[in-house]
Amino acid sequence: MIRTYVGLIIVLALGAIVVSSLSNYSVPLELGSTGHNYTQRGVDDTGSVNLVTAVVVAYRGLDTLGEVVVLFSASTAVVLILTLIPMGANPTPSSSIVSFTAGVLPGAIVLFGIYIISHGHLSPGGGFPGGAVVASAFLLIMLGSNTIPGQSRLLASIESLAGLTFGLLGFWGMMTLGQFLNNKVLPVGSPGKLLSAGIIPLISLVIGAKVASELSGVFASYRKAGGEK
Amino acid sequence: MSLLAAASIGIGVMMLVAAVAALVVRKLISAIIIVAFVSLSASVLFLLMDAPDVAITEASIGAAISTVIFLWGRGKIGGEE
Repeated sequence: MIRTYVGLIIVLALGAIVVSSLSNYSVPLELGSTGHNYTQRGVDDTGSVNLVTAVVVAYRGLDTLGEVVVLFSASTAVVLILTLIPMGANPTPSSSIVSFTAGVLPGAIVLFGIYIISHGHLSPGGGFPGGAVVASAFLLIMLGSNTIPGQSRLLASIESLAGLTFGLLGFWGMMTLGQFLNNKVLPVGSPGKLLSAGIIPLISLVIGAKVASELSGVFASYRKAGGEK
Repeated sequence: MSLLAAASIGIGVMMLVAAVAALVVRKLISAIIIVAFVSLSASVLFLLMDAPDVAITEASIGAAISTVIFLWGRGKIGGEE
């Protein structure tokens, strides 16, 4: 009981701090110098119509590489811990609605995910969201099947190959233009075309493949570990 | 107040109510579904605020993937409340 009240008081105090710090805040009507620079020069500079992708992949590509490393270490840790748990029995059969949907929808979902990945420099999306969409199709397949998934060497190879390619693309820029992950090792082309924007589409593809295979591996090992009670 | 702002505030209030409901509701499965609803509302909110990139990520990871992970976890611990 005391714990509940202490928790409530802490939450209320935090809320008061947030409200008091927001009371002097007004929405800035003009962009800062960095944002102004990105919006003015972004499209000509990178060839990417979607400025979010231009910033995420081209201007701050090194941060994205760090993000990929974070996701990699997190999924490795999860899979390592889950393999320590003894393998469970086959899950309870899913209802006919779920198993029918799992037979019909995944193809369309994978196609949509590939669209999001490949058009990352043209329309909203990119490697991370598209990879998550593709992984959710595999999740649906696992939900519909009544057996636990086996080991997949293919997933692991796609994951390692994608990570390696990301690093090699970075070193390509270093070798030719003297800058890690330089976007201009491939021609920028005309903005709005599918094959444009330097190496942004390639990096989107690599990130998408890596995220999709990593998340699918985590789902598979999660599905495998332990029994359902 | 524009229609867009009114819709945003309405969704925000709905999210607040649902988030509190997820804390106080007795059954675990109801809490999981309510959290998924909060995630989906956040995704719509991002879309209304001109951030479609974030909206796609929130819808696929927040609403779909984490909900299924929670449901599997609930199945494994076998808890009802």
